[in-house]
Amino acid sequence: MAPKKLRRARLSQELCERLSRYQITTCQDFLCLSLLDLMKVTGQSYRNVQKLLCKVSLACAPKMQTAYEMKVRRAVNPSSAFLSTSLHGLDKVLHGGVPCGSLTEITSPPGCGKTQFCIMMSVLATLPVSMGGLDGAVIYIDTESAFSAERLVEIAGNRFPAYFDSDEKLFSMTRSIYLYRELTCGSVLKRIKSLEEEIISKKVKLIIIDSVASVVRKEFDTKLQGNLTERSNFLARGASLLKYLAEEFSIPFNCKSEDLL
Amino acid sequence: NKGNSFLFQRKPLACLPLAPALRARLVAAGFQTAQELLDTGPCGLSKEIGISKEEALEALQVVRQECHSDATQTAGAPGTSRKCTALELLEQEQAQGFIITFCSALDNILGGGVQLTKITEICGEPGVGKTQLCMQLAVDVQIPECFGGLAGEAVFIDTEGSFMVDRVVDVATACVQHCQLIAEAHQEEDHLKALETFSLESILSHIYYFRCRDYIELLAQVYLLPDFLSEHSKVRLVVIDGIAFPFRHDFEDLSLRTRLLNGLAQQLIIVANDHKAAVILTNQMTTRIGQSQSTLVPALGESWGHAATVRLIFHWDNNQRLATLYKSPSQKESTIPYHITVSISFKMEIQRWEQSVSCEELFRDL
Repeated sequence: MAPKKLRRARLSQELCERLSRYQITTCQDFLCLSLLDLMKVTGQSYRNVQKLLCKVSLACAPKMQTAYEMKVRRAVNPSSAFLSTSLHGLDKVLHGGVPCGSLTEITSPPGCGKTQFCIMMSVLATLPVSMGGLDGAVIYIDTESAFSAERLVEIAGNRFPAYFDSDEKLFSMTRSIYLYRELTCGSVLKRIKSLEEEIISKKVKLIIIDSVASVVRKEFDTKLQGNLTERSNFLARGASLLKYLAEEFSIPFNCKSEDLL
Repeated sequence: NKGNSFLFQRKPLACLPLAPALRARLVAAGFQTAQELLDTGPCGLSKEIGISKEEALEALQVVRQECHSDATQTAGAPGTSRKCTALELLEQEQAQGFIITFCSALDNILGGGVQLTKITEICGEPGVGKTQLCMQLAVDVQIPECFGGLAGEAVFIDTEGSFMVDRVVDVATACVQHCQLIAEAHQEEDHLKALETFSLESILSHIYYFRCRDYIELLAQVYLLPDFLSEHSKVRLVVIDGIAFPFRHDFEDLSLRTRLLNGLAQQLIIVANDHKAAVILTNQMTTRIGQSQSTLVPALGESWGHAATVRLIFHWDNNQRLATLYKSPSQKESTIPYHITVSISFKMEIQRWEQSVSCEELFRDL
């Protein structure tokens, strides 16, 4: 997601060289300038600059799709639209389950069962598609050291005794759950940034962050001035990264948080 | 046309859209008006300033273009002129259609619905229903004229990823059913004919969706909007769902942010006017920390408040959703309640669903 260099926007070589003398090398730099500034740095007339703006914009703008095309694409693969939670009532209210391709937040006062729910979703994601799972790996980012592998095996064995009938099956399930312990906001953000390649290489189908609130609370005391904006910055940056990953790879995200503010 | 060319003769160089370096050279060489340039001709110009003949010719063509567009403006040619009398404007406004929201209370406080050629901003906390209204409007703008709609198309620019196709399908299906009921009741020829082309598939095909992941993609998309709307001339609604989201993080330089937002607002006003479209922006709320208490205010600062013509604020009062018309040039400030329903005919409320499934039931199985 690094800013695109101007030569990839099909601008002429000499124009790129001229612009780089003004420290304008990326499309981001170009689009942030006003028209008058652009006329000055490119040395071109108003109309030409407008044409250049369109050219650079074309290189950066997203592709158009109609709502109909989006619907058709979802219809082609209906089972991949949701991950069922295996709780009938909850699935009904959610219209199918946890939606793939977007962020889902689970919040409650402490002790209600959020971590238990996340552990169970991890088991479900590793199940084959025929059983309502996603047949994939899980990335579990744990900030509270609340994850218990024994509990994971216990849930799997009790919930699906027919499927996990051998130790071999249990171990293959636990092998597909990748646990990362991150204790600071910075390391959580860094971990999220590195996820793109892991998702592809490990065939990840579910990402859980347990929990967002604990790292944020530890580091940002909202009574101190200025912390509120930094905290919002961190949360917003994390959220946009996660949304990008969720949509790009069509995976559901579970983010836990207690009552924040 | 002696009068026009006299005015044009006197037009100083600073008003011409030439490249700055070229203009500097012309001024240094002693040129003062546009007419002087035209009289000199390309060869003379190139010798005097020391530029190539091609560059000189290009400059003269720019100057001539300006002269031509000036002349048509003073002659009052329609389309190029942006001035008219208030009476002409009144006639235009009265003939103008609105995009209805299917919530009669909301349509009432807006004066009929969402207005074309204006920017309407919807502010509110997460979950209050801003995206729902946007999706509803993207369907409603397409209602055929015989049913009281605009028969238009919609552009949906999404920065937060909140657009849910399945929900749009629900809304569109309900809208088609609503029109079918009207057609059955009235049994008119044009109603039945319109229903032939007003289907779920056609509604979805005329919502043009762009997913902008950061502010650069948003800026680029807005620069390209005029061309897109010229190619798709039936578009009557442009939605930007989440104008605040891309600008709220990674912006240390607040003055750059203000400048970019102002630029966006200006471009959107031009788009709204040139293409007779309604522009809807959704905005988040932020906490303003005051002396003794903190209040929720629309995000992006005070100067952004000037961008939209009409401002709606969606908020909660206990379990009831309320919409307040906060800013409008023609309607008075008022607040109305609204609901988000599954469909008009069934009238089931999503809130009732949420309450009926209790927590114990959910966790019994765990």
